[in-house]
Amino acid sequence: MKQKFCGVWATYEFLDDTCETIKELRNSGFNKITTHAPCPRHEIDHALGDPQSRVPFFTLAGAFVGFGLAILIIYKMTLSWILPVSGKPVISIPIMGPIAFELSVLLSIFFTAGAIVLLILKDTLRHPGPISKKYKDYNRFMRDRFGVVVACEENQLSAIESIMKKYQAEEVNSET
Amino acid sequence: MSQISYGTINDRVVQSMEPPGRPWLVSMVLVLSALSMGVFAWSYQLRQGLEYSGISHPIAWGVYITNFVFWIGIGHAGTLISAVLYLVRAPFRNSIYRASEAMTVFAVMTAGLFPVIHLGRAWFAYWLLPYPNQRELWVNFKSPLLWDVFAISTYMSVSIAFFILGLIPDLAAIRDESKGPKRFFYKMASLGFRGTNHQWLHYMRGYLLFAAIATPLVFSVHSIVSWDFAMASVPGWHSTIFAPYFVAGAIFSGCAMVLTIMIPLRKAFPGFSEIIQVKHLESMGKMIVFTSLIVTYSYAVEFFIAYYSGARYERALFWFRPFGEMRVFFWLMIFCNCLVPLPLFIKKFRTSIPALFIISILVNVGMWLERFNIVGTSLAHEYDPFAWGSYQFEWVEIWITIGSFGWFFMWFFIFVKIMPSIAVAEMKETLPPPFRNKR
Repeated sequence: MKQKFCGVWATYEFLDDTCETIKELRNSGFNKITTHAPCPRHEIDHALGDPQSRVPFFTLAGAFVGFGLAILIIYKMTLSWILPVSGKPVISIPIMGPIAFELSVLLSIFFTAGAIVLLILKDTLRHPGPISKKYKDYNRFMRDRFGVVVACEENQLSAIESIMKKYQAEEVNSET
Repeated sequence: MSQISYGTINDRVVQSMEPPGRPWLVSMVLVLSALSMGVFAWSYQLRQGLEYSGISHPIAWGVYITNFVFWIGIGHAGTLISAVLYLVRAPFRNSIYRASEAMTVFAVMTAGLFPVIHLGRAWFAYWLLPYPNQRELWVNFKSPLLWDVFAISTYMSVSIAFFILGLIPDLAAIRDESKGPKRFFYKMASLGFRGTNHQWLHYMRGYLLFAAIATPLVFSVHSIVSWDFAMASVPGWHSTIFAPYFVAGAIFSGCAMVLTIMIPLRKAFPGFSEIIQVKHLESMGKMIVFTSLIVTYSYAVEFFIAYYSGARYERALFWFRPFGEMRVFFWLMIFCNCLVPLPLFIKKFRTSIPALFIISILVNVGMWLERFNIVGTSLAHEYDPFAWGSYQFEWVEIWITIGSFGWFFMWFFIFVKIMPSIAVAEMKETLPPPFRNKR
């Protein structure tokens, strides 16, 4: 099934123009906004209303899973083959420390990496972008240009275009 | 720096990734020659046995374990620079962290070879891992050597993940500057990253968490490596100072290796000199002199503990190190690690590229010697005079050591040609953003 997109996208040379556009679009009730930037900028986050990521929950979950896994394998394997070492208890709490720590770190990193990929995919599916060749071939977003993409109804295109032009967008493109 | 724009950074990095010239090819031939000799020496050892290395009674841990600790130490600076300095927002980090992270990954890959080489029968290396088997015979979780297996594997996995995560936006930037098959390669590698707010949001939060998690890992890994020694009741090893002493030494040697690599890199790609500025190298110089002082203090504390504890075996060992038959290694170590970095207190030396380069190389030599002193002299002079001995270096282990440098630099040379060796997005973050209405 071919993805559909109806909306406007514009490119900007300056960060303040981009941020002002985003603020006015949000004030006008257009909230399906996607931005492009060559590097992360807090100014854009503030203009978008400081959205929060859920990645830390996955990281915490990974740490718990790693810790639990470490305790489990140490118990299981130590009791499976009793290996007395110079009078030390067979199950010793201090010796679990290093391995529990390392596996907590390892799993939390894996969960974090997985969460980044999953959450980006989820947001990308929720906010589909323009499908035109011109948009896909535009290659300055990762170089030196900012971009604003707004999904909207067909009858709202002109209102959005006028806001974008007001803040001196370099180019404005509509897609239906 | 004021002339640099977002676009200039892309251009500089793309220039560095152009097809290699003669200096790169000549360097690669040298590096591959060293690696080939190392591989030949190892294959000889595999055929003939460990007796052809210098490992013998009483020094059963020789050059290979020295190399292992040395390379793990080198591997520390990359994660330190990318994670710890990221958390404290150190501005000099951005221009050097990508190459340092690559250095970490390649150094840990090199370090990981040495326990396997040291085993002798390398084909049994998998015995180190807890894997299900018919006899239900599991590994000994009480052994610090097993903790080390977990620590090094975790460190390598986290370093690689951190390295790849940092590369994604930069590969996207390179993709947009490339054409043909190159563009296809970078398109695949950048996983569709286009710098949208959704991507940056989760990416940056994840990156911050990576840094926060990697920071304690940096300290834990070399602490666990130090416990390989400190948990054993061998004079010179059984000391509570070992973990912080090893961590400081690792940061010291790692920072020196960063300079050893960054200075030629800056020279090889002239466009980098306005990105990797002298003040960034100067900051590394400050870190070297600071960690040198910690290392010097640790040496002094070791001697004081040996004297003040009254433990006769400990005292005997700490007399043997500076005045015994292996004293050359000790005094060279003191020269390289305690005296050579001292000129870095003077700004003139800290801002002199040749001085920084020479000091960084001597510090690397000194830190290898420190590890050899710890491994070699302690085992050479344990409790029983009947079991005392010395160490004879053999050509096999010398060539394997040289080969390890070939292995490390081979990966680094490939890296600078196919990956962005400067962090593009993070360098852009440090620049004033383009504003129409100047603030």
